[in-house]
Amino acid sequence: MKFLLPFLALPLLAAGLDSKMLSLKIYPSTVKLSGAGSTQQFLAIANYSDGVERDVTSETAWTLSHPNLGKLAGARLSALAGGSLNLTARFQGKQAISRVEITNAPPRPFQFGRDIGGILTKRGCNSAACHGGVKGRGGLKLSANALYPKDDYEWITKGGIYQVLTTQVAGDRVPRVNIAQPEKSLLLTKPTGVEAHGGGKRFDIDSEDYRVLLQWVKNGTPYGEEGMGGSGIVAFEVWPSIATLPVQGVRRLLVTARFADGHSEDYTHQVLYASNESDIASVNAEGLVTAHKLGETAILVRAAGQVASAVAGVIGPPIPGYPAVSPANFIDTQVFAKLRQFNLIPSELSEDGEFLRRVCLDLTGTLPPPARTREFLASTDPRKREKLIDTLLASPEYNDYWTFRFSDVFRVAIFANGLMPKWSTGYSEWIRNNIETNRPYDQVARERLSAQGYSPATRHFIPYNQIGTPPDTMAEEVRVFFGRRLDCAQCHNHPYENWSQDQFWGMAAFFGRMFKMGSIVVDHPVNMDWSSKDVDGKIELLHPRTKSAVHPMYLDGSAAQVAADANPRKELARWMTAHPYFAEAAVNRLWGYFFARGIVDPVDDFRSTNPPTHPELLATLASDFRGNGYNLRRLMKTITTSRAYQLSHRPNNTNRADLTNYSHSVARAVDAEVLLDAVADVTGVPETFATSVTGGASAIGQAPAGTRAIHLKDPDMYFSRFLELYGRPSRGAIPERSGKPNLAQALHMLAGATYVDRLGQPNSRLARMLESGATDDRIFEEFYLASLMRLPGADEKAELKQILGQRQDRTAGLREFIWALISSREFAENH
Amino acid sequence: MQHSTSRRDFLSAGSLGFLGLTLGDYYRAAAAQAPALSNAAAKANAVILLWLEGGPSHIDTWDPKSNSNFKPISTNVAGVQFSELLPKLAKKMDKLAVVRSMHTRGNDHPQATHYVVTGHEVNPAMQFPSLGSIITKELGPRNAVPPHVLVPQWDRGRQYEDYFRASFLGGDYDPMCIPDPSKPDFQVTDLSLPKSISQQAVESRSAFLKAVDRRYRALSESAEHANLDAFSSQAWKMLLTPAVRDAFDLSKESEKMKERYGKDSIGQSALLARRLVEAGSRFVTAAGYHGNSWDTHSNNDTTHKDRLAPTLDRTLPALIEDLEERGLLSTTLVVAMGEFGRTPAINANLGRDHWPNCWSLALSGGGIKMGQVVGSSDDKGYNVTSRVVTMGDLFATIYKCLGIDYTREYMSPIGRPIKIANSLEDRTGEPVAELLA
Repeated sequence: MKFLLPFLALPLLAAGLDSKMLSLKIYPSTVKLSGAGSTQQFLAIANYSDGVERDVTSETAWTLSHPNLGKLAGARLSALAGGSLNLTARFQGKQAISRVEITNAPPRPFQFGRDIGGILTKRGCNSAACHGGVKGRGGLKLSANALYPKDDYEWITKGGIYQVLTTQVAGDRVPRVNIAQPEKSLLLTKPTGVEAHGGGKRFDIDSEDYRVLLQWVKNGTPYGEEGMGGSGIVAFEVWPSIATLPVQGVRRLLVTARFADGHSEDYTHQVLYASNESDIASVNAEGLVTAHKLGETAILVRAAGQVASAVAGVIGPPIPGYPAVSPANFIDTQVFAKLRQFNLIPSELSEDGEFLRRVCLDLTGTLPPPARTREFLASTDPRKREKLIDTLLASPEYNDYWTFRFSDVFRVAIFANGLMPKWSTGYSEWIRNNIETNRPYDQVARERLSAQGYSPATRHFIPYNQIGTPPDTMAEEVRVFFGRRLDCAQCHNHPYENWSQDQFWGMAAFFGRMFKMGSIVVDHPVNMDWSSKDVDGKIELLHPRTKSAVHPMYLDGSAAQVAADANPRKELARWMTAHPYFAEAAVNRLWGYFFARGIVDPVDDFRSTNPPTHPELLATLASDFRGNGYNLRRLMKTITTSRAYQLSHRPNNTNRADLTNYSHSVARAVDAEVLLDAVADVTGVPETFATSVTGGASAIGQAPAGTRAIHLKDPDMYFSRFLELYGRPSRGAIPERSGKPNLAQALHMLAGATYVDRLGQPNSRLARMLESGATDDRIFEEFYLASLMRLPGADEKAELKQILGQRQDRTAGLREFIWALISSREFAENH
Repeated sequence: MQHSTSRRDFLSAGSLGFLGLTLGDYYRAAAAQAPALSNAAAKANAVILLWLEGGPSHIDTWDPKSNSNFKPISTNVAGVQFSELLPKLAKKMDKLAVVRSMHTRGNDHPQATHYVVTGHEVNPAMQFPSLGSIITKELGPRNAVPPHVLVPQWDRGRQYEDYFRASFLGGDYDPMCIPDPSKPDFQVTDLSLPKSISQQAVESRSAFLKAVDRRYRALSESAEHANLDAFSSQAWKMLLTPAVRDAFDLSKESEKMKERYGKDSIGQSALLARRLVEAGSRFVTAAGYHGNSWDTHSNNDTTHKDRLAPTLDRTLPALIEDLEERGLLSTTLVVAMGEFGRTPAINANLGRDHWPNCWSLALSGGGIKMGQVVGSSDDKGYNVTSRVVTMGDLFATIYKCLGIDYTREYMSPIGRPIKIANSLEDRTGEPVAELLA
C-alpha cells in the first residue's frame, strides 16, 4: 500500500499542521432511493479550525446499519431491498450519519433517450468534436448531449450523416446495429476497438455500458418511452457549486438529477466531466477534481439532454487574521464573500487620482482637466467620490459617451441604416434622447424591437436600403438584448447549446412580416393585398431544412399568439423584456464596461459551457435593475460607488494572479476613440475628422471643429488611421473590439500623424505654457496631471530633468517628453 | 530618404535595444514566427489583385456577345476572341487564362464585394478574413516588407476597406492601406520619420518613455506589454531599413515605366504592387478604380470605351510584361476581377446593371496554365453554360498555386469553422484543374 501514501499525505498537509478537525459532515444527509438497484454516492467533508474544508471521502470508514438492505463499494451505496437504514462515516474520531430510505418502486421502463443517450453522452460519443459535430463523423451523426433522441434513434438504426439546409442524408446509410448478429453491430464493435475507430476505444466489452447496448440490440432496438428533454431530467444539480481546494488537493463532485415526476436520482457516475481549464484543475471520469495551480475553472457536467457546471477554485493557503473589509453595497458583500472563500485579500482602496482617472474614463470617456484634478485631489470632503460620481452622471460628457457606447451596440452607421444620412442621424438622435432622459432600458428595448412606421428606431432594420433578413435581424436582437448567440442554429441545431434550428426559425418568424414601404418599416397583416405597387414583394419565411413556412415561436418553444393584423414584434418585445435573460444580459453588459470583464465574459456570450464567475451577484444585480425600473444611471451609480470598483490597481501578494474575482482593478487598453480624445486633450490639439483622406478640408466632408471621436454620429464615414489601428470596430457587423497591440500601431506611434504632427502645433498646451514662461517643473507637473491624474514623484522628476538636460533644444526635448507620456502604458491603459 | 541617419548608425548606437530587445533578439523572434516556406507544391509566392471595382461588363470585355455594341476581335490564341475594346490584351492572350463562367452572390456592391473578397455572404454576426489576409497568414512575411497592402485606400468611409481585413485572424494580417500613388503628394503613411526627428530625438524619446513608464510597469508587467515592445522593435527596423521605404518609393521608377503602366491611379497602384511583390509582399490589391468606376448604370458603352477599357488594356499588359521581364511572372499570380459582371440587357439610361449570375475574370502568372478560356456562357451572357466556377473554386485554385491547403478551415471566435475556400451550399471549393499549370 506504499503507493497510496503521497495521495493521502498531500491533503493533510494542505489543511495546515496546527489546525484541528472540528466536524465531519456527510452528503447527502438524508436520501430516498427508488427501489433495488438504484445507487447513491456519498461524500464526507471535514472542517478544520483554520477554515479549511476538505473532502475526506476516500479516507473515511463507511458502515451500514442493515447490510441486508444495501451494498457498499467505497462510499457508493447500491440498494438491495426496500427499507430504512443508516450509513455511518467515521474519520479521525468523528462520525456522521446519513439516513437512507429505499422504496419498493417497480423497475423503471426503458427509455432510449435516457438509457442509450446517457451512454452515448457519458462516453463522449456525441461530443461536438466527434459524432455530435454538426455533420457527424465517420458516417454516423448524433445529436450533441443526446438532445434529440428521436433523431439519434434514426441515425443509429439507419446510419448516414447530416447535411445542412436540406433534409437529405449525406453518405451511405449503413445501420449501426445488426439485429441478426447483435455482437457485430458497429455500435458495439467500433467503441470497443474491435473495428478501427477514429475516436479510439471508448469502453470495454466487459463493461456495464456494453451489456446495456448489446441487450438493447438483442431486444430489437426498441425506442421505449419518450422522456422530457430526451431523458426526463428537468434539472441538474452539482454539489458543491463552488468547490475550493488547495493546490494538489482533490475533491469529488456530487451530481443529482431531478426528474419531471419530482423524484431525484444520483447521477454522479452517469455523466461526462470536463474541465474548461485543466491546467488549473482537472477532473476524472468519476468526478474527482484535482487542483494543479492557483486559479478558477468551470467543471462542465454533461448527461443526456443536460449540461450543468460547477466552479473549481484552486486557492492559496488560509490567511490568518484575514482583514475585515466593509462593504459599500450588495456588490461588495458578494464580491468580498467569494474573495474570502478563495483566500484572496482585496487590494486597498484606490488613491484619489487613480480613482478619478478610472471613473472619469468609465462614466464619461473623458479625462478631467488639470484644474479639476487638483481640486479633487485637494478636497477633504469624505463624500467627494460619491459627489464626483453624481456630477459625472449628470454631465453632458456622460450623454456624449453613452450615446457613443449604445450607438456602437445598436449599430448607428449609414451602411447599416439604409444608406441615408438622415436616417442614421435620426437613429443616433433617438439613442441620444434615450440616454439624456435616462429612459428605462426595457422601454428602449421594446421600442427598438417593435419599431414601426416613421420611428427612427426602425432604421437598424434597414441595412443597405433593404429590410434585413429575418434570421440575421433576430439573431442580432437576441445577442444585443439576451446576450446569447443563436447564430449557429440558423443552419443546424446548435452544436453545444440547447438551441434547435426550429427554435431559431420560430424566433426569426417574428421578423418575417416586416417590409419596407418607401422609407418606412411596417409588418404586413397575414392576408395582405400584395398587388399594390408600393410593396416590394411578399415575404414568406421558410424553414431552410424542411422548406415549410415557419410561425412565431418564443425561444422557450412556446408558440406565440399573434393576431392576423398585429405587429408580431410587439409581442416579442413584450416577451423578451419580461424574460429574466433581459435584465441579466443588460447588467452584465454594463458591468463589462466598468470592470473590462463581464460576470459572463464575453458579455454577449451566455451559454451553459461559459458559466458566470459570480452567479448570485449577477442575479442580484439583475433583480435590482428590474426592481428599480431598468434605470441605467442608477445601475452605474451602484457599480461605481461599490468598493469593489474603487479598489486599487496595485495588487497584493495574495491577489496578484487573480483576473476574474475583482480583488484589484485590472488594467485594460483604453478604447480607440477615448484614447484619441485623450491624446487631443493632453496635447491641447484637437483632432480633425474628415470623410476624405486626401484634401480633407472640404466643408462637406469635415466634421465641425472640436468634434471628438466619441461625438462622431456615423464614425464609419470618417477615416482615421489612428482609430482603425487601435481597434475601432466597424458597425457593418456587431462590433467586436480588439485592443491587441500590433505592428501598425507601433509604426503609427513612432511616425504617425497622431503622435508626431501634433507635438509641434502652435496652439498646443505646450506652446501655450512655453509662451507663458512656465518652468520645466511646472510643465512636467501639468502634463502628468492632464494625462495620468497624478503628479510626478521626486525620483521621476529628477530623471525627466536629467534627460531634458541632455537636449540642447529645450522645446524639442519637451515635445519628446510629451510623446513619451502619450505613448506610455500608464496613459494608454485604464487601471 | 528623408532623414540622414542610416541604419548602420542606429545599430552602432544600439538604439534598437532601448526597449530591452537587441536586434539579435528581433531576428530570433522573427525566425520563430515565420512559417515554413519550403513548399514543393507552391508555384507562386505572391498575388497581385487588380481590383476592377464596380464590376466590368463581361460581354464588353472578356466574353464578347452579339448584344454588345462592340465587335469581337481575334486574340493571339486561336479561337479566342475578346471585345475590340481590349486590343493590347488580345495580343497577350497567351499570357492569360480567362474564366467566363463565374457564378457568385451579392446583388449590390457591398454584399458582392464582401462575397468575392471573403468567399462568404455578409453576416452581421460574423466577420470573415479576406483572401489577402488568409494568404498572408499562410505564407508569412518576407524581408520586413509589409506582407499585405491595399493601394490606394478608399477616400470615403471604410465599409469596403473592412472587407479586405483579417477580422479574427488579427491585426497582423490586415492590409496596410496607403494613399493614392498617382497623386503628387504621395507619401506612405507611418513609414517615414519626419525630418525633424534626429537620432538624438529618437534616443531622448526612448529615455523619456522608460522614465515615464517605469513605475507603472513595475506594478504590473503583462504579456501585452511584451508584445508591444516586440512590435516597437520591429517598427523601428521597418523605419530604418532603406529597402522597406524603397519598396514604396515610386520615384525609383523611370518615367517611361510609369507611363507604360499609366500615370493614373490604377496604373501607379499596379506599378507599386509590382515593386512591393518584388521586395517581398505577399498580397497586394491594386485598387485604383475607386468610386465604383466600372459601375456603368448609365452610358455603359461610352464609359467602357473612353474611360475604362483603355486603362485596363494599358495597365494589365504592362504588369504582365514587367513581371515577366523581371522573372517574377512565374512566381506571381495576377488576378484581374471586379465584384460581378453586368446585365446583358441595356437599361433605359444606356447602362448595364449588376450581374453576379455569370461573369468573367482573367488570371495570369505563377501556377496558371495560360492561353486558354475556361467555362462558357449562353449566347447573350446571362447564364453559365459550362464549367461553373464559384468563388470557393477560384480561391481553391489560387491556394493551390501558392501551395496552401485549400481544404483548411479556421475556427472562428464563436466556434464556427470557417472554410478558407467557401463554395456555394456549404461546400468546400475545388481547384479548377484546367486552370492549373
